[in-house]
Amino acid sequence: MIEVNQLTKSFGPRRALVGIDLCVAPGECVVLCGPNGAGKTTLLRILATLARPTSGTVRIAGVDTAKAGADARMKIGFLSHRTLLYDDLTAEQNLAFYARMYAIPDAQTRIDALLERVELTARRHDLVRTYSRGMQQRLAVARAVLHRPPLVLLDEPYTGLDPLAADALTALLTDLTGEGGTLLLTSHNLQTDVTLNRRVVVLNRGRIVYDAPHADAATFPALYRELVGGEAVSPRHPATNSQQPVSSNQQPTTNNQQPTTNNQHPNFFRQVWAIVAKDIAAELHTREIFSAMFVFAVLALLIFSFALDLRGALAQTAAPGVLWATIAFAGTLGLSRSMAREQQTGGIEGLLLAPIDRAAIFFGKALGNLALMLAVEIVLIPLATVMFDVAFLRGGVLLTVLLGTVAYAAVGTLLAAIAVHTRAREVMLPILLLPLLIPLLITAVKATGVLLEGATWAEIGGWGQILVVYNLLIIAVALLTFGYVIEE
Amino acid sequence: MRRKSLVDSILIVLSVAVFLVALGMVFFYAPREATMGEVQRIFYFHVASAWVGFFGFFVTFVGGVGYLATHNCRWDILAFSSAEVGLVYISMTLVTGMLWAKPAWGTYWTWEPRLTISAVQWLLYVAYVMLRGSVLSPEREARFAAVYGIAAFVTVPLSWFAIRWWRTIHPQVISSEGMALAPRMIHTLFVSIAAFTLVYFALLRQRIALEQSRDHLAALRLHDEAATS
Repeated sequence: MIEVNQLTKSFGPRRALVGIDLCVAPGECVVLCGPNGAGKTTLLRILATLARPTSGTVRIAGVDTAKAGADARMKIGFLSHRTLLYDDLTAEQNLAFYARMYAIPDAQTRIDALLERVELTARRHDLVRTYSRGMQQRLAVARAVLHRPPLVLLDEPYTGLDPLAADALTALLTDLTGEGGTLLLTSHNLQTDVTLNRRVVVLNRGRIVYDAPHADAATFPALYRELVGGEAVSPRHPATNSQQPVSSNQQPTTNNQQPTTNNQHPNFFRQVWAIVAKDIAAELHTREIFSAMFVFAVLALLIFSFALDLRGALAQTAAPGVLWATIAFAGTLGLSRSMAREQQTGGIEGLLLAPIDRAAIFFGKALGNLALMLAVEIVLIPLATVMFDVAFLRGGVLLTVLLGTVAYAAVGTLLAAIAVHTRAREVMLPILLLPLLIPLLITAVKATGVLLEGATWAEIGGWGQILVVYNLLIIAVALLTFGYVIEE
Repeated sequence: MRRKSLVDSILIVLSVAVFLVALGMVFFYAPREATMGEVQRIFYFHVASAWVGFFGFFVTFVGGVGYLATHNCRWDILAFSSAEVGLVYISMTLVTGMLWAKPAWGTYWTWEPRLTISAVQWLLYVAYVMLRGSVLSPEREARFAAVYGIAAFVTVPLSWFAIRWWRTIHPQVISSEGMALAPRMIHTLFVSIAAFTLVYFALLRQRIALEQSRDHLAALRLHDEAATS
């Protein structure tokens, strides 16, 4: 199921993994342990295709992850440190969203069955943010196995769970192996039921220093301390041992019940729409972004009116600038929050785990942001019309607003995805975004001004061309580079 | 760590020599401009620094594309170093532009499109440098900077073509009819551009060497920590 050959991963001059060779047979359950910083999470993230190795190869169910990442992702379920669930969606909405990402046939039946199995049927319509840690972890397991992956990777699945929740998780994982699934989990606790009698691989300083079944709970902790306390040594048991699957009762697992993967790749446009619908659903539950953008926009209009004393001919001249400055500031606020919401819950990581084209993620996020900005503008433009007594509600102006907003949403989505990973992310987005937008804003303001003077769209000449060229360039750049921004 | 090579020494000597020649040509070879007088001589520094500044950002763009395509940190070092040197040149463009604008247009600053876009370029690459200092992971910093460097460069063509698309009071030095300059002015301009370009490459090589030394030091520290732990 897993074939890792001479895998190395470096972060700058630091080598996190060095010459890892690992084979895990179908139906096997392997526990990966080691001290903090040993490279466990890095290894799991490479196996899950979330990080790329510096050198070496990884094959999942015979598929080379470097060559056919989407095919490999269909075969992998991953439970990360984070639940990768959206707090502002219900349990059912979360699973339905991921079901669309994986194009799961008869999704509702699968969701019903999984919710029943993780004992969350009664709370299926509650927002995830109201769940306890244990409930969220159970739902996260349901998310990880939703598409029936033959391989499930679990990174510290017991972290933060109380004993009862840990027992429930153990039962769930035991069921998974009983059904023929392959498990690779990291754990610090070598005494759990899941760990005992399993094959244990110990990583230390990026190297495998032990690879054998763990049968003796009394002596293993001492051996473990010796392994990770001293210098890196050769594996006690060669990795070839791993070709012998070890189940909970030391017997090879029958593969009759092996999970069957849905091999049909999801449709690009359905995935885009699923992301847009997910963002809109989350916003409908909270209304936090729209409310903040709208109130901020109204405040900006009022402050500009007071500060510039906009009346009569002056209002006619200054109104386009005021409108676009308001759109720019309110948009920045919304974009920042929208991507932060995705980042806080690990949503982007969840999307990267799915067999989805990076362009679909970009389009989905950008269209979601565009919908939010347009929703604010639908209220803002009539309001500005009334406040400044300026005829914004005409075809050419609205087309300019639409084109400007599309460009804004495209470049804003790209830069918001960058800004969320920076220190002082709240101030970094406007610093990155506004200089890039200034040519657009100058053009949009000038075009709006000319149109308000009575010109038609065809008569604004170069302004319209710049607006269109800016849109094309920025969307092309965002499409080509967004994948690099969101990858780990 | 890289020692100062023969290429560096030759480049530095050549830069100084050509720069001195350019200075001599600006003040003693190029004719006095009829309308603006002596102040027009700042043009040779203004245009040359603008050309080289934009070239520096082009190299940042190329470095960004190279890094995203190969994940080789040499491309990233090239991109970062060139952005910093380009930023110095564009700062020089803005300062000389303002000094020239006062006697020519009666004001230090006017919202003339190409001047505005130059200011935007300056803001973009200040943001680029700030971004690099704001990302913790070196690998992620390189990726983000590459993407931002590419997106930022998209505005360079807009800046270049702005003079044609927008009505402007900026003097149009190069038009479809060729250069509107006397031959001696053209010679001086080209030598100035050559001098600024040589200085750019000399600074770029020094900046790259500094970054490589920093990486080397980080590797040594890591090795030292591993040995003592």
